[in-house]
Amino acid sequence: MIKNITSFFNELWIHNTVLRQLISQQLILRYRRTALGYLWTLINPLVMMSIMAVVFSTLFKADLKTFAVFLFAGMIPWNFFSSVVTQSGTSFINNEGLIKKIYLPKGIFPLSIAFSLLIDSALSFLALFVIILVIGGSLSWAVLFIPVAYLLLFFFALGIGLIMSVATVFFRDLQHVILIAMQALFFLTPILYKPDSLVGKVAWLVDLNPVVPFIELFRAPLFQASLPSLNVILLAVLFSISAMFVGLFIFLRQEKQIVFRL
Amino acid sequence: MSNIRVENLSIKFRIYHDRSPSLKDYFANLFKGQRQAAYSDFWAVKDVSFEIKAGDRVGIVGHNGAGKSTLLKALCRVYESSDGLITVDGRIAPLLEIGAGFHPEFTGRENIYLNGAILGYTKEQLRAIEPEVIAFAELEEFIDTAVKYYSTGMYMRLAFSLATAMHPDILVLDEIFAGGDAAFMEKAKARMHDLIDKADIMIMVSHDHRLVMSLCNRVIWMDHGKLVADGSPEDIVDRYLAGKVNG
Repeated sequence: MIKNITSFFNELWIHNTVLRQLISQQLILRYRRTALGYLWTLINPLVMMSIMAVVFSTLFKADLKTFAVFLFAGMIPWNFFSSVVTQSGTSFINNEGLIKKIYLPKGIFPLSIAFSLLIDSALSFLALFVIILVIGGSLSWAVLFIPVAYLLLFFFALGIGLIMSVATVFFRDLQHVILIAMQALFFLTPILYKPDSLVGKVAWLVDLNPVVPFIELFRAPLFQASLPSLNVILLAVLFSISAMFVGLFIFLRQEKQIVFRL
Repeated sequence: MSNIRVENLSIKFRIYHDRSPSLKDYFANLFKGQRQAAYSDFWAVKDVSFEIKAGDRVGIVGHNGAGKSTLLKALCRVYESSDGLITVDGRIAPLLEIGAGFHPEFTGRENIYLNGAILGYTKEQLRAIEPEVIAFAELEEFIDTAVKYYSTGMYMRLAFSLATAMHPDILVLDEIFAGGDAAFMEKAKARMHDLIDKADIMIMVSHDHRLVMSLCNRVIWMDHGKLVADGSPEDIVDRYLAGKVNG
């Protein structure tokens, strides 16, 4: 296992030119020949979150500005996580032509997705951060924790993404199941509401939800202007490592079979 | 010196009779205890062994579905062997399908970098060969146009020029002889011959027997995944055309 993991990263390093090409392909391509180009990456989540902020702050009878900061801080990690998992699911299927014709380490495909989404997410974070400051969020040193939060979230999402990328090749239904599951998970994750406000019969689902600590990693510095509690950090570290471990384990076991099943 | 050793190579494909199994079927079968055989195994390459040394120019002949292309793809690591071993010494250039990995939305120049990276060139190498690739493909005017607006000929010329821009130790060819107009074909042929001359090892699959006879000094005949004969081009091609395994 350790030897396989080393050669996995070694191969990725050898092919780092391809990896970088695929990342820039994903970043550039979507918005080629659109007037606003890459700006759409920022506009889309901004508009979505603003609408949600207006609607749900009214529904919850909360102060719009406070709620907006609260919501933004939760949506940034969620959007990243959910797009990595969803897009990884089709990463091999979409590159079938390439995979069947030429040898490339398969990890390149989910990894390029995770990296390009990380860049998207970091940029929309910057845009949102400016907005948070403008509408009266508090700026504190705790913000310096955000890169660490991203690091943990990245590996967590990548681990799950690796599992999904392989699993979808074997069970094509999964690409549709993932979409539904992510929608359910969105409502079971305290993004629109506070972690302890979902009470009753479904509360245990929130307790089991591994995404919760990652939301907290972002919300504590941005909304509460404090570092996340040690408990939350440790949980996030545990989940990241477990996700990467399981992800790599499944991926390395099935890597050679992927081409036969596309 | 380059060298290729293939020992008892077998490659298995699993053919699903109706479709890829859905999650539902998988669990249904899991609980039934007894797994239904919804698939059958197909050996595209079965127990093949040979060794290719530097200086060998190998042609592989055989009917459609004999496992020739699968064998080449296994040498290029696209397919993992189900059984047996492949040892390759030397930089191998996969010219299996030129233009694989071209992105239609990208310009010709961007595709040189994208496809070049996929072919295993480094960024520095690509920067160095870029002008030569563009000149050879005669695409100076259109290099910054998206590839999807290219004619088939333009597309092929770019793909060919890029794929053949470097000299690999081991050249693997699957029926590629570039398209384009007569003038380009001439140029491409000359370049192909130059590439073959400079390579340590050349392996090609072709149904053009005259081409095999003229380029190869050794021919392997494959049939139904098995290696049935291996020898001099004249001998093997004659026997293959006559359909006789034992001369």
